[in-house]
Amino acid sequence: MKVLGVSYGYHDASACLVVDGRVIAAAAEERFTRQKHDSNFPTYAVEYCLKEAGISSGDLDQAIFNEDPHAKFSRVLCSSMAAFPDSRREFVESMKAWLGRKLWAVNTISARLDLAPEKITYLGHHYSHAVQAFMGSGFEESAILIVDAVGDWACSALYTGKWQDGKPKVDRLLEVSFPNSLGLVYSAVTAYLGFSPNDSECSTMALAAFGTPRFADKMRQIIKETDGGLYEVDQAYFNFTKFFRGPVTDRFLEEFGPARSYKDNLPFDCFGTPEGVVSKDAQRLADVAASTQLVLEERVLGLCRKLHGMAPSANLCFAGGVSLNCVSNYRVLTDSPFESVYIPPDPGDGGTSVGTALYYDAAEAGGTPGRAPYSPYQGVELDELDAVKLVDFIKPEHFVPYLKQGVELPKGSKWRFKTYKDRDELYAAVADRLMAGQIVGCMQGRGELGPRALGNRSILIRPDDTKLATRLSKHVKERASLRPYAFSVAEKDALTTLAIEPDHVRMNRWMQFAVPTVESARPKLLGALHIDGTSRPQVVYEKDNPAYHALLTAFGERFGIAALLNTSFNPSGYPMVTTPVEAMVMFARTDMDALLLNTTVIWKDVEHS
Amino acid sequence: MITAIERLKIRLAVSVELSGKPAKVSEVIRGFQATEADGVWHLYRGMKQIDDPRERAIIFGHCLEEESHADAFVKAYKHYGGRVFTPTHYERKALYAGDEPIWKTFAFVHVGEVDATQRFRILSQELPPGALKDCLSNVVSDEEGHVDLTYEMLKRLGATDSAIRSEVRWVRVRRLWERWLRTGKRLIDNLANISLSIVYYVFGALLFGAARRRLARGFVTYDNNKMKHL
Repeated sequence: MKVLGVSYGYHDASACLVVDGRVIAAAAEERFTRQKHDSNFPTYAVEYCLKEAGISSGDLDQAIFNEDPHAKFSRVLCSSMAAFPDSRREFVESMKAWLGRKLWAVNTISARLDLAPEKITYLGHHYSHAVQAFMGSGFEESAILIVDAVGDWACSALYTGKWQDGKPKVDRLLEVSFPNSLGLVYSAVTAYLGFSPNDSECSTMALAAFGTPRFADKMRQIIKETDGGLYEVDQAYFNFTKFFRGPVTDRFLEEFGPARSYKDNLPFDCFGTPEGVVSKDAQRLADVAASTQLVLEERVLGLCRKLHGMAPSANLCFAGGVSLNCVSNYRVLTDSPFESVYIPPDPGDGGTSVGTALYYDAAEAGGTPGRAPYSPYQGVELDELDAVKLVDFIKPEHFVPYLKQGVELPKGSKWRFKTYKDRDELYAAVADRLMAGQIVGCMQGRGELGPRALGNRSILIRPDDTKLATRLSKHVKERASLRPYAFSVAEKDALTTLAIEPDHVRMNRWMQFAVPTVESARPKLLGALHIDGTSRPQVVYEKDNPAYHALLTAFGERFGIAALLNTSFNPSGYPMVTTPVEAMVMFARTDMDALLLNTTVIWKDVEHS
Repeated sequence: MITAIERLKIRLAVSVELSGKPAKVSEVIRGFQATEADGVWHLYRGMKQIDDPRERAIIFGHCLEEESHADAFVKAYKHYGGRVFTPTHYERKALYAGDEPIWKTFAFVHVGEVDATQRFRILSQELPPGALKDCLSNVVSDEEGHVDLTYEMLKRLGATDSAIRSEVRWVRVRRLWERWLRTGKRLIDNLANISLSIVYYVFGALLFGAARRRLARGFVTYDNNKMKHL
């Protein structure tokens, strides 16, 4: 059976092709269109998935969509009417979008794929997340927790999942309705702090580590706990209906102080050397972030308790946008009643195309829990040999006007490249460059599914050098100094670097938990640690990614620990690179020193006369 | 080619619509940024179909330039925008079917460059001193070099002068048609604004109580957790 999962319409459009219970290909549309969080119909992602299987859309048995447009429309209509008479603008804009496009999403899929309408199935948004969380877990049975901003009506939902007679069965226990949304509160605070909502929630999480949660009691009153773990959000503090006009109310501003303009400097540095004095106002903002983060964690743990009471399983599957909060995830792992936690590689909306397609296939054709787990490496793989030929004709001195701010090109700079036949020699050469303090862009194999760079579209540096990490932030990634980096570590060194239970090592494969590090290992990991000594590790198993594991091992032989600072390979404001040329453009404009493209290394060389 | 009417429209826009309105200026900048980013995407796609590494290297430089222009607009936005820059997302569409020769894509890019350069030049002349004026002046000086470069590229890719002229004419007709469609869309958009506003005030007054009660429930009572078909 060939099933195509499709997700689009709000953010992170994606497509996934499942054939006979196995994921053949999956990718976000943004990787093809170079528009971060692209929400348009995933034309190119679908094209890629079908091409990967060598089929056309006419060969599909079914397409499955991750939303119920009618249920969502009723919520949008209701919420804009409820704010009458102050919501005319929101009503008009949303109705134009819904009546013109979004309400007919299923028809659009039918037309774009040239598939009969009876071959299109759709699921409620949280149900899509629930099957997404369960299908990849490999669990026989599990409790399922979904927390995000809002789907159709639900904002948080509790489910159970089990395999029964060779088919998956996912049942709803309870859903918390809009506007009681933990995700929307977190996004509103993100906007209040001067970051971009629906994109930079990670900055709020990073800022929280610099603050003390002195507003936590106030925040607890705003997000009240009710009924043994559930919660309710006091709407007097938020404008969710008019989110983009200003998501927090005057009352919120009275309690927490004025909002930050995105232009104001926040002088926090995760390496402990802030640029400038931390003013009282900046500290207040960090304290608001810390309070919001703490209460978010408490409410998510409350939901876990409630869920465990209703479905007493040892296993938890967790998905939805809030499950991208790696600090809260670690609390779920250590402080909730569940023993094993599974978070899919892409737990946000983009990953629902994978889960729904797997679910439909298994529900119709049958399956087993062991067949469904899938790797995050489902994206495009492109050969570099053709692309690198242009290196010989490149004149770097012509690029000087187009370099990123602060990047300098030494006189006589030339690009060189070498293609290696021997993999050991290749990784030894790259490891030597990393040891020498070079910034290396790494693009090998298939692209990752989801927002985390897991070694195939990554920028790597040695993890102990904070000056190098600062250079990476300023002249390559253009990111705020308050945001920490993460690191990848080969499985053999996981327990010598991470202060976690041995049972938890495998759960840290995809950078989903902010975990404490072993104190004695910290001097070797300084560039990849947050101010509180935690990091968001990727434990790399040889079986999962042999090429990246080999590189880590080669570096470990030189460095002592098989660990590298790993950040996503994308220019600021753009998604991760997909093609070798995109990688080379970023390499040209930034302060990267070398580029690993599958088996070829490109580097910037200075010709001395 | 920019017509006299277009020139007048830009002047009017600067003196009436944009003058002293940073929010409007920031919206205009978002549009410019999106246009430049879209240009890079088309160049990436075009490049895949070119075999000669020399020509690829030329387009590679072109990509760098266009991407740096997109970045320059993001920087200019900071002087006007009240909130964090978020790019406008267009649905990306290939300009030509896959079996059309690649030089046609570059002909389209060439016409776009010519028009953008002229429009940016007029705009930068009309604007009062500021970040956008500076940014546009820099972009114009880069783009002027481009115009010749893209034309040269068409020839390198095997197009004859007469074929180029004919394609450029066709592209101009197509762009004009697209402009008409946009104007029509704006008109429909305005009509929709008026009629939906009427609907809002008529039905909102009747329904807001029920809507508020629905939102106050706290829990989702119906079960939307099953597979559905149209």
